[in-house]
Amino acid sequence: MHKLNVRQICFWLAAVLPVSRLIVYPATLSFRAGNDLLWPALWNLIAEGTVLLLLLLLARRTRRTFFGLLRERAGEAAARMTALLLALFFALAAVLPLLEQRGFVLQILYENVPSFLSFAPLFALLLFAGAQSLRALGRTMDIALPIFALCFMILLLLALPDADFSALLPVFGRGMGEQARTALFSLPWYTGAPCMLCFVGNFEYKEGCAKKVLLAYAIGAAATLSFLAVFYAVFADISFLQHNALAQISKYATALTPLGRIDLLFVIGLTLVLVISACVPVRLCVHCLGEAFGGPRALHAAIVSILLLGVTVLLNPAFREAQTFLSERMWPVFALFGYGLPLLAALFLREKKAHRSHGIEGKTPRKDLSAADRTRAPSPETGRTLRAEN
Amino acid sequence: MKKFARKALLFATGLLLLLFFTNNFGLIDIQKTAIVTAIGIDAAEEGGFDVTAQIAVPDASGADTASNVTVRGTETVGEAIAELNRKTGWFPTLVHCSLILLGKDTAQENVFRALDYFLRSEYVEDSCLVALCETTAAETLGAGSPIGDLASAAIAKVLSAEAQKTGLVSVTNLRDFAKGYFSEGESGFLPQLSALPQAKSEGGSGGQSGDSGNSSSAGGSGSGKSGGSSDVFDASRTALFVRGQLTALLETEETLAYNLAVSGTDMAFGDVTVYEGDREVIYHLKIDIGKKSQKLQIKGALPVLEFSIRAQAQVVDANKAGTRTEIAATAIVPDHVLRAAEERFEKELRAAADKAHATGCDLFALKQKLHRFHPKEYEALQENLLQDVRITCDIRFETMR
Amino acid sequence: MDTKQTDKQETFGADIRANLRMLKEALPAEDILVYEFAAGDGTACAAVYADGITDKELLGALVARPLAAAPAPKTREEVRRKLLFPEVKEADDLDAAGKEILAGNPALLVDGVRGALILGTKKVSLRAVAEPQTAIAIKGPREGFIEDIKTNMGLIRRRLKTPALRFIMLNVGKYSQTAVAIAYLDGVADKKAIRAIEARIRAADIDGVPDSSYIARFLARRPLSLFKQAGTTEKPDILCAKMLEGRIAVLADGSPIALTLPYMLTEDFQSAQDYFVSPYRATVSRILRLFAVCVSVFLPALYVAAQLFRLRLIPFGLLIIVSGGIRSIPLSPGLEMFFLLAVLEILVEASVRMPKYVALALSVIGALVLGDTAVKAGLVSSPAIIIVAIAGISAYTVPDLTGTLSLVRILYVVVAGSIGPYGIVLLTALLIWYLVSAESYGVPLLAPFAPLIRHDLADSLYKADLAALDRRPRALRGKNRTRLKLRRDAAAGREDEQPSGEGPDGQAADAAGEEKDA
Repeated sequence: MHKLNVRQICFWLAAVLPVSRLIVYPATLSFRAGNDLLWPALWNLIAEGTVLLLLLLLARRTRRTFFGLLRERAGEAAARMTALLLALFFALAAVLPLLEQRGFVLQILYENVPSFLSFAPLFALLLFAGAQSLRALGRTMDIALPIFALCFMILLLLALPDADFSALLPVFGRGMGEQARTALFSLPWYTGAPCMLCFVGNFEYKEGCAKKVLLAYAIGAAATLSFLAVFYAVFADISFLQHNALAQISKYATALTPLGRIDLLFVIGLTLVLVISACVPVRLCVHCLGEAFGGPRALHAAIVSILLLGVTVLLNPAFREAQTFLSERMWPVFALFGYGLPLLAALFLREKKAHRSHGIEGKTPRKDLSAADRTRAPSPETGRTLRAEN
Repeated sequence: MKKFARKALLFATGLLLLLFFTNNFGLIDIQKTAIVTAIGIDAAEEGGFDVTAQIAVPDASGADTASNVTVRGTETVGEAIAELNRKTGWFPTLVHCSLILLGKDTAQENVFRALDYFLRSEYVEDSCLVALCETTAAETLGAGSPIGDLASAAIAKVLSAEAQKTGLVSVTNLRDFAKGYFSEGESGFLPQLSALPQAKSEGGSGGQSGDSGNSSSAGGSGSGKSGGSSDVFDASRTALFVRGQLTALLETEETLAYNLAVSGTDMAFGDVTVYEGDREVIYHLKIDIGKKSQKLQIKGALPVLEFSIRAQAQVVDANKAGTRTEIAATAIVPDHVLRAAEERFEKELRAAADKAHATGCDLFALKQKLHRFHPKEYEALQENLLQDVRITCDIRFETMR
Repeated sequence: MDTKQTDKQETFGADIRANLRMLKEALPAEDILVYEFAAGDGTACAAVYADGITDKELLGALVARPLAAAPAPKTREEVRRKLLFPEVKEADDLDAAGKEILAGNPALLVDGVRGALILGTKKVSLRAVAEPQTAIAIKGPREGFIEDIKTNMGLIRRRLKTPALRFIMLNVGKYSQTAVAIAYLDGVADKKAIRAIEARIRAADIDGVPDSSYIARFLARRPLSLFKQAGTTEKPDILCAKMLEGRIAVLADGSPIALTLPYMLTEDFQSAQDYFVSPYRATVSRILRLFAVCVSVFLPALYVAAQLFRLRLIPFGLLIIVSGGIRSIPLSPGLEMFFLLAVLEILVEASVRMPKYVALALSVIGALVLGDTAVKAGLVSSPAIIIVAIAGISAYTVPDLTGTLSLVRILYVVVAGSIGPYGIVLLTALLIWYLVSAESYGVPLLAPFAPLIRHDLADSLYKADLAALDRRPRALRGKNRTRLKLRRDAAAGREDEQPSGEGPDGQAADAAGEEKDA
């Protein structure tokens, strides 16, 4: 039984993936690119979309997972090593969103800078979420989409009256070189492709799947770009002062009304989606650790959560330095794992039509099962595991 | 594993309950919190600041009263806010601060020396209204309101979006003022607030100032009810700023013309004087702006600012007794009155522009427009843009039918 | 009945004395009586019964009298023919006979006849079939289940007159031997789920089952969960509607509450009323229920979080009122809310248990003392009381979830008071993760929202017209999907030109329509 549904992947791309790009990223972009902030974002979105398309073509030709294909082509050791590296990458990819979320939460949801204890329970949730199945991850996307759609639309509509879109002019005012640099330094925010790499083989590829997924990605990209446009249109030259863009753009419509900052309720709704988005790289890190070492998922989840908690505590007083390091120094790592590895997988692991693996309908071939899954016993209930559809 | 999970859950529950019942970790005790509704900043000696905070003081019935607390002679606004806490024992929260008043003296230097505290702080929203006071901010905040409002509430009404719609007030918030300051033009404007004393009345609200000086700690925060004069606030004049310093003042008519041409005003009232025969007749018109635009064009390497305004007018009143026919046809404005209104509007608009440009204030954001819409000509023209720009007005008033 | 069962099952012989001795040894209780009488030819006969749960009149009239009027039969078959009684079973061993006697069905022994006959003359005092207090309907049927499983099965049978309606009878409880029935529609319900449910009930090793909630505990996949794992209903019309969707019902003797499985959280937001009123009204009602549940759970927590951590959430005017109102309150907002919620729970608990004649006095205490006087004394603030009242009332729009909501609400308040607004977000995320991973016999608890099943949305938060509900919910995984076929003519609103009952060829119009649809 496949763990994910194509619809859930679409919802992830349309709603959950973009939300992590709406916190500090807009201010960072406007600092580097000024009014040309849309272009570096667009290029990264196109690059990521292209890699996603290639991964979909990979999924089309196989029922295996990425690690299953790797196991077949390069051997068990290579598969485990890659899994370990990918796990480390996902842990790294989770750091910046967590730090951003920490700042966002402590500044927007609280009025006097509270203790880190107010943020720490997130790691307990990450542990819990990391220990759940991919099916549960997929289902949270079904919940996240309507929340995101409603809250995002309302915030954007509230911001529109204050937006002066001429602030985005002149186009290419900063020069291509600066934009290229900005695009490279933005790579830590574009980690959708390696996630998709892990999803390959865990969902059933049906006819028309690629179109749906790409459409969903395009919607997510449009949401990101429209947010960036409105953000800069509202703030113009003081954009890079607005560190928590999501909570800033809509306040002008509500701040002086009798109801007050009612937009904060929608910001809280989006914070929920943000929490779900933070769970994705963590869950995939756990998935990769399972591929690398086997063993109980809960243990891997505990290790990852504790590790991330430690890193967040360590970097707590040094967000700027951490962000600068990850974006300006570590961008090659993000390029390699974020684009390079998925690209290589899509190009070189793709099965030819004649060699497409035919498993039993609905059953994942044994080679593709993670070490943990291979040893899991069926439910004692009826002798077979009674599982629901996605 | 399950045993461990159970123990972990028990521990987490215990910790949660401990946090809950001990009530610590970043809490605000609302009873010890001073809800600041407005901040007034005046210039003190030697470049310091006198900061007045208007604090809402709820009584048991929930009625609004306010108390003003002034901290004098601090080097920075942030220091003054911190001192509010030290001297009064209250923790000031600025999240409901919706008004920042700048005393007249602060405008002699760069007002952003004071204002950037609010831009740095995550807890003060830059949606708050900003205004320049004709006198001092402390006096303005200490003024009474004839209808019992807090001074800050009364001022906020004068500076509200509804007031903006009438065109008599150039409403701006901190964000817009900061955008202008940091833009290419480095200019901005603020409404100038004057308190016009009305009548003496007893039991007006609005507060008694308590001073908390630097050297002595009186710490006073009196409760708000006192007999005193009640004032009406007027903000029909507009102060122009360049690089944070006050450079010029637009009069009421100039402010109205500017708002009708540029800002979000779509409907206003204005007077037009015409000569009918040998008599001077003043018509009071209601003006509805239909379409308006302002474009910066480059014509023959010279910048031209084109205003295009289409409006409809209706006679509301005149200082002569009208005939039955005139009264019945009040919606129809005579042509000569329309032309006079156009002339008047253009005159005031040009006067506002001239006044601004003469002092270097880029009131119409011309440099920004040049940069955005004509980036190739920007380098060549931006230095003398304000002096070189030619203004053309295409203003057409029609009668409302 | 001696609970220490011997391995060897003792069987009845032909000697009535020996059989009676065996029975009296096995059932020594004093309410187990023996009615001895003679057949027409003087042959000894005896009926062993439990006093109080046997219809002695029926026993005398339909059993003893016919036997006394004729010579004693020689075989059990002859005994059957003599008795003017439909419910007669045979029992060869002591154990089987003992169980039946304890269930209210006497055992008839005839000297010289091997074995015993079990007579179905059970008579227990039962209440009438009436409208249940927990599911009052303004429109629709007013019948409700009672404690007798046979009556309940009859109420179902009356509504589902189809051979596809099946019952699997089980006995659960070492001492109580409670009859439990699994009811389902063959060809509609998921067979895997039926087998799984039956296996779990059979595996239940418990002394007694006083109520169906005990069975629910065995059927739960997550027994320690805060959330229900089985649907419940006291109304046969609702139960039959659920069975028609593909669910499986579990009835327990002695309990008027029937369980339905698989369970989805959305079914608690549905009411029978929704199917009897216009779909627009039903949709509005459901959205209102969801809104009320959100208010019930989140409002107290948001209030506490806003006061303690984020004043900006409260509009300024309201903040002044709140601030003025709590000036002299000794408790912090979190503790105050916790205290008021505890008082609310105490009031609810007391109102359920209190005798009716003190209800008025206690409601005065609740309203005046706890409400008005407590505010005046400065113990609690008015805004907090209003919020608790709204939250408390809102929970009762979904009566089946009230218990869960009270606990979740308190949890939210504790989290909001300790961690703050982010705590509310995290707890919501945790609950979402928890619920999306929960399943009830293969059906996700949050279906049709997570996973999103578009077809099933027509009867979830939004109630479509009956014509749109032509297929059973996909989430329930039944085989037979179609439950409604509308005739095209009827759907278009056109009337037949021929008189009803006659088609253009002289055939019955109904038959012609059915052939066309098939």
